[in-house]
Amino acid sequence: MIPKSVRIAPRRKTYDVLVVGSGISGGYAAKELCELGLETLVLERGRSLEHGVGYVTEHKRSWEFPARNSKGSRVHKMRFAVQSRTYAFGEHTEHFFIDDSENPYVEINPFTWIRADVVGGRSLLWGRQCYRWSNLDFEANQRDGIGIDWPIRYADIAPWYEYVERFVGISGQAEGWDPCPDGEFLPAMPLNRGEQVVKERMARVHKDRILTIGRAAVLTQPHNGRGACHYCGPCHRGCTPGAYFSSQSATLPAAAATGHLTLQPDSIVHSVIYDDETGRATGVRYIDRVTGQMQEAKARIIFLCASALASTQIMLNSKSRRFPNGLGNDSGALGHYLMDHHFQVGAAGELPGLENSYYLGVRPNGIYVPRFRNVSRASARSDYVRGFGYQGGAFRPSWNRPQRGFGISLKQALRQPGPWTMLFEAFGEALPQYENHVVLDGNVTDKWGIPVLRISCTWGENEMVMRQDMMQSAVDMLEAAGATNIAPYDNFVTEGLGAEPGLGIHEMGTARMGHDPQTSVLNSHNQVHSVPNVFVTDGACMTSSACQNPSITYMALTARAAHFAADELKRLNL
Amino acid sequence: MDRRTALQRIGVLMGGGLSASTIAGVLGGCSAGREGERFIARTLTEGKDQLVATLAELIIPETDTPGARAARVHEFIDNMLTDWYEEEEAQAFLEGLDDLEQRVRVFGGDSFLGLNQEDQVAFLTKLEEEAYAWQNAGQDGETPFFSTIKSLTLFGYYTSEVGATQELRVMPMGEYRGDVPFEEIGRAWA
Repeated sequence: MIPKSVRIAPRRKTYDVLVVGSGISGGYAAKELCELGLETLVLERGRSLEHGVGYVTEHKRSWEFPARNSKGSRVHKMRFAVQSRTYAFGEHTEHFFIDDSENPYVEINPFTWIRADVVGGRSLLWGRQCYRWSNLDFEANQRDGIGIDWPIRYADIAPWYEYVERFVGISGQAEGWDPCPDGEFLPAMPLNRGEQVVKERMARVHKDRILTIGRAAVLTQPHNGRGACHYCGPCHRGCTPGAYFSSQSATLPAAAATGHLTLQPDSIVHSVIYDDETGRATGVRYIDRVTGQMQEAKARIIFLCASALASTQIMLNSKSRRFPNGLGNDSGALGHYLMDHHFQVGAAGELPGLENSYYLGVRPNGIYVPRFRNVSRASARSDYVRGFGYQGGAFRPSWNRPQRGFGISLKQALRQPGPWTMLFEAFGEALPQYENHVVLDGNVTDKWGIPVLRISCTWGENEMVMRQDMMQSAVDMLEAAGATNIAPYDNFVTEGLGAEPGLGIHEMGTARMGHDPQTSVLNSHNQVHSVPNVFVTDGACMTSSACQNPSITYMALTARAAHFAADELKRLNL
Repeated sequence: MDRRTALQRIGVLMGGGLSASTIAGVLGGCSAGREGERFIARTLTEGKDQLVATLAELIIPETDTPGARAARVHEFIDNMLTDWYEEEEAQAFLEGLDDLEQRVRVFGGDSFLGLNQEDQVAFLTKLEEEAYAWQNAGQDGETPFFSTIKSLTLFGYYTSEVGATQELRVMPMGEYRGDVPFEEIGRAWA
């Protein structure tokens, strides 16, 4: 497991808690645990990055980039072959992403694994959409007889949603729509003219759906010391006023303010150290990426928040006499039931008659049509289970739209914006399937000598049937809105890149929660059933995927688990 | 900030009130710090930079605002070919230029730059029609060279400081308004 040549230098200090990862989940764990008075060490594999100072492309204009903010260079193909597949990657963000050439994984089927490699992780790059789950989601597995039952219900997590929403700051509109409960909202961003028109016309025809402004972790007014959005556009370059929520702008500063935080970048966790005598984890082994040396860090409690697949990789690589198949893996469920949201399917259409209207500023947010399928007897489908929501928005394309010709007439035509265009893009729930899984590769290791993941994941029949409705329902709404030139699309390509799993960057499952230690890895408090001082609170814990963007749920679960862990520590149960 | 202030600010950003040539001078001076520095092509050698500059200018000509040549689109394309593209991609572009010259000879000229402007336009019109037909036929097979150079020209022009600030408008920061009378802005956002 550990090369003999590597020197192991144990650190002297034993922390109360060790958090692996500083993204959405790790940052939240650090904040809560530090505020609860616990001495907390955060190990982050990525390099150090200072809020503000590290946002080297913030507000740069297109002409200030050598290739005008493109992607696909020779260097990108060599070092970011996978990362280049996501929309967020480009000249303006390449410094946040992981180097694929040093950190490979094996794709048995096309699976896009997007990873950051800096302090703050993917919280710097995320899409910022925040939607609560409801009991429709927490009861889904039990109702459909698919997978295992969630060990929690909406009532367990609702107060924690409220708790994190108050800190995060989410702009949005309360709608009273049961499948997607309202939260604690800051003032909503406005719909634009095209969206307003679509909303009104849709409401006349589709009484079973609503269109609302996206619920976004972007501030519309100053909040907890962070500044309001100034509508510059590309949040994922970083935001010095901290208008969008990230570990960098919000949780890590809060954790640091307590005086209990030790944040250590460049520390790539290899495995959890398990003590067969005490039946507890005692710390982790990690590789100092500057020196390349293996080190150890000790703590009384460990929070794995490295992201779904990275936390699972660490657990699979944590082999001991007690756990020969990976830490806490009595059930054999570790690594299995990998899920992501399937998307890149929907429709777009033009909205005639609004040519005199335009917009000003870049709103870092779109619209949301929350789930309306299989939410009641009337909306039940016979051809698939679960459902989907729509994101998207209305916009007027600029010079990069197709426009025939050349010369003065072309230049004149492109002076004007294109027609108002409405886009509905669906995000669908994926079912937990045993076959969708990861294992450690027996031969391939990364630059640090850690066995890489072999990822095997495909969409199932339920997803593929759902996609037809995801496309058709978008067409229906556009027709109701009086749109013309309606263009349905589905980017999925069998065995190819297009809408493959992973691309949603909502990968989850692989260390699921459940009541029964024989079928799940974690209990109702994200605690490893058989190793009570290890918690996993990132996407790995998810028992089903719902169709809502998951980050706010990770944050709520993390805060809940952190308070539980601190209580247990106080009661000397850990 | 109210709308009027915002729009005035756009005016300032756009250099409202200054003459186009003044702006071009100012902007030229601050773009990539190459004032007085002569451009030396690295891939578009042996006069190919002038061929590309001419093609780009025909695609986006100077009107009441500067065209592709003033926006140094040919320099941008040379940079992309040299620093960004795979060798085969750059090679394909150069071959596209050679093919174009070959077709000029079939067309009855010596070289593209040797044609008068009327003939250059007529020749390009023919290429544009072919590219349009290719597009409508499902874009099978090799991308026509016209499509390649047109999209590179549009990209290079509208993302340049000249194209974004003088021909189009750069989105201001500070507020979001979802329904603004178009005439208050007057151009597409770059």
